[in-house]
Order: sequence, then structure tokens, then C-alpha cells
Amino acid sequence: MTETKQPLLTMRNVSKAFGHVQALIDVDLDVAPGEVMGLLGDNGAGKSTLIKILSGVYHADEGEFTRDGAPAAIAGPGDAQALGIATVYQDLALVETRAVAHNIYLGREPRRWGMLSRRKMEKDAETLLKNLNINLPSVKVDVEVLSGGQRQAVAISRALAQGGDILLLDEPTAALGVEQTEQVHHLVGSMRDQGKSIILITHDLSDVLKVADRIVVLRQGRLWADARAADIDINQIIGWITGALPSRFGAKEAQA
Amino acid sequence: MTTRPALFRDPAAFLTGFFKNRDWTIPGLILTLILLMVFFGAQSEFFWSVSNFLNIGRSISIRGVIAIGLTIVLISGGLDLSIAAVAAVAGMVAAMLIDAGMNGIPAGLIGLAAAMVLGAVNGSVVVRLRINPIIATLATLLLFRGMAYVVSGGDNIVIGVNTWAFLGRGNLFGVPVALLVMLGIMAAGILFMRYSVLGNYLYAIGGNSEACRNVGVKVDRIRFGTYMGTALLSGIAGVILMSQGGTAQPSALNGAELDIFTSVLLGGVALTGGRGSLFGTLLGLFIVGVITNGFILIGLQIYWQDVARGVILIVAVALDSLRRGGGYR
Ligand SMILES: Nc1ncnc2c1ncn2[C@@H]1O[C@H](COP(=O)(O)OP(=O)(O)OP(=O)(O)O)[C@@H](O)[C@H]1O
Ligand SMILES: [Mg+2]
Repeated sequence: MTETKQPLLTMRNVSKAFGHVQALIDVDLDVAPGEVMGLLGDNGAGKSTLIKILSGVYHADEGEFTRDGAPAAIAGPGDAQALGIATVYQDLALVETRAVAHNIYLGREPRRWGMLSRRKMEKDAETLLKNLNINLPSVKVDVEVLSGGQRQAVAISRALAQGGDILLLDEPTAALGVEQTEQVHHLVGSMRDQGKSIILITHDLSDVLKVADRIVVLRQGRLWADARAADIDINQIIGWITGALPSRFGAKEAQA
Repeated sequence: MTTRPALFRDPAAFLTGFFKNRDWTIPGLILTLILLMVFFGAQSEFFWSVSNFLNIGRSISIRGVIAIGLTIVLISGGLDLSIAAVAAVAGMVAAMLIDAGMNGIPAGLIGLAAAMVLGAVNGSVVVRLRINPIIATLATLLLFRGMAYVVSGGDNIVIGVNTWAFLGRGNLFGVPVALLVMLGIMAAGILFMRYSVLGNYLYAIGGNSEACRNVGVKVDRIRFGTYMGTALLSGIAGVILMSQGGTAQPSALNGAELDIFTSVLLGGVALTGGRGSLFGTLLGLFIVGVITNGFILIGLQIYWQDVARGVILIVAVALDSLRRGGGYR
């Protein structure tokens, strides 16, 4: 993390409630250019909620955003895309009954004379997968016949095809084996080398220390810790996640 | 780390994909249709004749127009049980206006407009009130059917030959106009579902509406539109039926839902959404039409025809669940 550069994206006082559940409380977070942020926290800590607010799926109850220093509104998925934010959702958000190419270009289908240009879509999808070194039987097969890892690959390809410079990955390696996880981390590394910023959610703490430049911990919807990965070890992270270590921001445990 | 594409490589999945992803629905339907035609041809000398085929075509044309709408709603993950009732209301409205002295063309168009109002009711209940479409359209089925009785006082409206008679009774080059209308809408629908972006969204929404919302597809608006479109198609069917008989009955097409659902499900449309095609529906319509026609030709008694219909519906639904449960994962 380089303190001198202007942040790509800032969030201030972001809060979100679902009925009685306060999923996020006053979260402040900056995303620096070209950094990999490991976003950690227990189940239900609010990680996915934060991701979905940034990708326009949920609307924050409160909070301000800036992109490159300018105020920005995220009212829907279209706004997020326009801000250069691309997302791989925890549940992958794939249409199982549709072909790989359809899934990769869902919502951004290439058109010709106002009609769907299937041929261009399939050709683009093939090129994209080849450039990413992703091997699938064909871009014409339905997602439902793919393995868990292949599905994840499709979801990641979709986000990369959007071409934003902020990539949100919600547990992208949850369904993957060791080698495939390695490949995703490799992919994350090369994205960073291209100057993109990545927010990576995962429960695998030893892995995240390997790929992330910065560790952010959410606990019970609050920002609990934010540190350079190089300065901390796994025990500290566990302490923050479980609440054994106090918040770095003076956040208090919720009254049970 | 190798740079070769070891990533996500999985030969087993490739083979699974190769075989599972071949869709046998359409070839299976064509084969079924051919076998049925051979069978009934052997049973009755009248089966293989142009006039009999035109009979079959005429018999499926009105239900076919409704089936197009039902197919589209089902593919997008919705359901509409009120289709036949909407047709009855549209025919009733048009007939009453003609009966009251209105010119046939505006009367028919007002009938279609009435159908679309009913479609908007369905769409609002399902999309805005977020009520399960089975319950929602079961309720509107009763509501609309009741309306057809209320406005007509329970009577048939007899208008005789009218402006629209050509639509229901006429022939063009020896082919029933109603059949040509159905095939024309079918052809347009097939092109729409395959080549338009919106048609592709209908499939995607039926497959995973959340995924579509995530990428900014206007899911609710499109869903609402499917109920409007279906109602319009039902309205067209209702007006054709009214013109065919020269009467509008409040009970028109009562129970036809069953045949329509049978054709559509037989044709490979999934009750769970996201799957199926209008071409499959067309084949399903012909299969049901051929069976009905064949049973009449071989003199099967009417109650046995009902038994056979029930069996075919069960087969259609069983095929639907087989296609989903039998193949994957
Ligand atoms: N759509 C929703 N409706 C109601 N409550 C929700 C919704 N989404 C999230 N929540 C609640 O908000 C809280 C935070 O959920 P979130 O999914 O953000 O957690 P998470 O950190 O991603 O957890 P996990 O590691 O299990 O994925 C949880 O208590 C959850 O039950
Ligand atoms: Mg989550």
C-alpha cells in the first residue's frame, strides 16, 4: 500500500441493515491503486454485504463513496460497472441453464443490428478464456455440466471481461483444489501487476497472507483491523477475527 | 507452475459435457410424431390425407397461439394459469361490442386491449405483490372467468358472421387462416427467442433471476412484460375463436388449459424455467393434435380420450423432471 497515491475508491460511514440485523456499521475503507486487499472476518461479519454494496446489488442505508477523489453514487449494478468495479459473487451468480459464453457476457451481450451477435460472443469468449489460460470443453456447453472449478473460472472470466480496474472476489477459491487455488492466486497477482486493485475475501488465512498486500478485518459489521500484510502474522489475524484482540479502531463488541 | 492450461482442466467433465449437453428433446419429439403418424395411418385409412392434416392444423391453431404465450412465460420462470380465461374475456368483450353495433375491427382491438389489461393485472400481482404465480394466476383465472360470466349475464353472445370471420373460418391457398396466423406468430416467436437480446434474457431470468439482477438486467420489468405478452396472445386466440363460431361463450376454452400445458411440457419446456423452446412446443402441439385426431378416427370413446389425455400429461411432466433430475451432477 502506498500512502502517497490518491485512493481509487473510498467509502465513508457505510451502514446497512437487514431488518433487525445490522450487517454493516459505519465502515470507512479506502482502496489504493494496484493493491490486493484481503477482506477477512467470521461468517456473517458483513463481507459479502460490503461487496454487494460496492457492486450495486444492495443499496447502502448510509455512506459516501468517491472514485478518484470525485463523489460517486452506486445506485445499481450499472453504476458500479461505470466506476470500474467488477465482481465475482460468493454464489457465483451463474445461469446454470445457459452456455458459458452467455454467462460471461450476461448483461453486456454484443449486438448486431440490435440483435444478439451469438457468433461474436462465442468468439470473444473463446479468446478471453484462452488469454486467461482457462480450459473449458467449449463455450457452448451449459454451465450446469461444468465442475465446481470450471464454474468458478466462468464467474471470474465474466468479471475480468467487464474490464474494470477494481476486482471484487468473494471467496473465489472456496470450491477449488490446491492447484486451482494456486492458479487463482497467480491470476490475482497478474491483475495487480496490471495495476488493478483487488479485494479478496477468503477464509484461508495462510493463503491470504501470501497474496495480499493488506489485511482488513470486519467483525460484527464493524471495521476491526486494517494492516499491512508484511507487518502481521496469522495469530494476530485470528485474534482480530475472533475478537480476542481489541479493535484497532476502538470498535466495541456488540451487546449480545 | 506450468504455463500450459492445467487450470481448471478436467477431462472427465469434458466427456460429461459432451454427452449430457446434447439435447435429445427435439429429435425425440420428431421421432414420436412420426411413430404416431405411422401408427394411426395403419389404423385408419382416413388419417393420411391432406384434408385430415388440415383438420389437425385447424384444431391446434387456437390453442397453439395460447401455447406460445405460455411457453414464453414458463421459460422466463413464471406461470400463467389464466390463459384460457383471458381468451374468453377478450372474445366476450369483442362480441358484446359487435353485438352493440360497433364495427368489427375496433371491437376486436378493444377485445385485445381488454386482454392486455388482464395481463397487467397478472403481472402486477406476480411482480409487484410478489405472490407465487401458481396462486396468483389461479386466483385471476377464477376472477377473469367469473368476469366473462358476469358481463354476459351467463349467456352466449351470438353475432354470426362478422368482420373477423375470415380469421376464424377462412382459408388462404386452401390452408386455414387461423393455422397460418398461429404458424406466423410461432415463427416470429422462434426468431425472437433465439436472436433477440430480450429473448435471451427470458431464458437467463428463468435460469437464475438473481444473477440477471446482479448484472443490471431489468428483471421485474421483463417479467411484467411476459404476462402482458401472454395475455395479448390469449386475446388473439379468443378473438379468433369468437370469429370462428360466430359466438362468444363465457365458458370458452374452459379446461383447454390442460391440453395447452400438456403440449408445452411435452415440447420440453421446464416448469422450473430457463429451458425449452417454441419449436418444441410446436411439436408438442402436433403430437397432442395427432393423438386427439387419431383417437377420433379409430372411434375411441370420448371418456377414454380423457383418460389418454391424463396419461399424456403425466408423461409430459415425468419427462420434465427426468430431463432435470436424470442428467445432471
Ligand atoms: N439479503 C439479506 N437479507 C437479510 N439478511 C442478510 C442478507 N444478506 C446478509 N444478511 C445478514 O447480514 C449479515 C452479514 O452477512 P454477509 O453475507 O455479509 O456475511 P459474510 O461476512 O459474507 O459471511 P460469510 O463468511 O458466511 O459469507 C448476516 O447476519 C446475514 O444474515
Ligand atoms: Mg459472504
